[in-house]
Amino acid sequence: MDPFTIIIIFMFISILISFAIGANDETFSTVNGSKTLNMKEILIFATILAILGAILLGGSVSKTVGNKLFGSGVSDISENMVLTVLFSTSIWLIISSYLGAPISTTHSTIGSIIGVGILIGGLNGVEWLKILEMSFWWILSPIIGFAVTYVVYKLIHKYIINRLNGFKDFERTERIFSYILLVTIGLTAFSRAGNDCSNAVGIVIGLEADISIDLILIITGISFSLGIIVLGRTVIKSVGNITELVPSSAFASQVPTAGILFVGTILGVPLSGSHMLVASLVGLSKSRKAPRKGGLKKIILIWFLTFPIAALLAIVLYFPISAIPF
Amino acid sequence: MKGKNIRKIDDVSKNYYIELLKGAKLIHQICIDFTKKTIKKKDLDAVIECESKCDRIKEEYIEILFKNKRALPFLVEDRYKIIGFVDQVLGRIEYFSRFLKIYPFALDNNIKNQFKDLSDINLKVIEIMVETLNLIENNFDDAYKMTFTIQSMRRDAREIRFEILGIIYKNDDAKKVFLTSQLVNNLYHIIGIVEDIADYLRGLIIKYPSR
Repeated sequence: MDPFTIIIIFMFISILISFAIGANDETFSTVNGSKTLNMKEILIFATILAILGAILLGGSVSKTVGNKLFGSGVSDISENMVLTVLFSTSIWLIISSYLGAPISTTHSTIGSIIGVGILIGGLNGVEWLKILEMSFWWILSPIIGFAVTYVVYKLIHKYIINRLNGFKDFERTERIFSYILLVTIGLTAFSRAGNDCSNAVGIVIGLEADISIDLILIITGISFSLGIIVLGRTVIKSVGNITELVPSSAFASQVPTAGILFVGTILGVPLSGSHMLVASLVGLSKSRKAPRKGGLKKIILIWFLTFPIAALLAIVLYFPISAIPF
Repeated sequence: MKGKNIRKIDDVSKNYYIELLKGAKLIHQICIDFTKKTIKKKDLDAVIECESKCDRIKEEYIEILFKNKRALPFLVEDRYKIIGFVDQVLGRIEYFSRFLKIYPFALDNNIKNQFKDLSDINLKVIEIMVETLNLIENNFDDAYKMTFTIQSMRRDAREIRFEILGIIYKNDDAKKVFLTSQLVNNLYHIIGIVEDIADYLRGLIIKYPSR
């Protein structure tokens, strides 16, 4: 296949994956749930941050897509396998976004790797021990999210909310919380767009073709923000509606978990931001003794379906993709 | 809410409460005059005018409330409900005034004192409600206590109401019995709505710290 066609194919998958990740981005859920910003404002804000994040932070390019997870049964990781994994990951992300469920991109990728790994190398095609090791953190992520938010909200309630006296006091305090929430979420969205777009760009950069990184970053940044605009609103609404939120409770559920996620990233611990946030909203509703509004069962069901469906998708997609001659 | 909007909404609500109190004082004076058979038609019209003025202020208040995109939604919602409730008090005052305008009898001497007492409670309870509404902006604790004062005054009003009705029902003139009991009930209903507002405010005070 000529290099230009290869670039076009990889560019397409790069755009698709950034769109899919943007579509599944639940970062602004608590801002929406607490009505700190309306959906139109969120989409404008998220779009600006996504494009800026992609351009300014997307330079540190990564080109490894979970290659440590393929087992000894897979001797060589071909371009077709990488494309299959990325394609099925994107499709499952888009489907779950359409259903309003935030899922872990890592989980979807690993599900796809399992599918391709088993198809190529049988049970030895997957590094099960590594996956088992990672699954410890997948279980721990929601537990951490739940516990941290439960405690943080109790503290905020005891030392701040309970001491407020009068509507005006509430107005002032909640406003301060809303500003902190916006700054923190803005930073999260900015760095997340940078990180995700750099991963998406890495697929093209890996080809070592003569192509401007900045241009690809801008394209993936736009694609990421299009994902938020087209499908992301469904995920944002769905997560933001898990429980009733005001800026102070949104702060309690989002800011500490974002901090832990940041520390986890530095330490190389694969925590899932989506799982932590959803669990933290459940922790919040428990801490406040407030009822949940619904939608949680659907999200959890989709979490459990992520591995088998992503694996199945990868198996089905591998056959047509493997026919592409690289 | 931005500073400018807070000031503006505070000014508008202050104007609203001034008009509300004016209406309450007028209806109290009308009740006193009614017991003395010196009721003035212009006073009754002034109550009706007062209610329509309050309606205009309420519209302005709601406009400011919803225009401010940065206001906290739950607070906007609660303030909107409060103004709606308070408006019902004025609605009942206006209704009472219109009723009195067409009431064809003079008040019997044997219920004059109780009627006056009921009217006193009516004025007092509205004054306390306005005070509570001002307090809830900055002082939940005192506002909370005030709501119980309103509750207790409503109980007193209920006693008086039934005392009056007991006397009225001894009358043989069915038309007079029906209309006079309506008159008393209308006055009592104003107090009833104020107590409903007090209950609602108490609920808000409990709800807010648990948000």
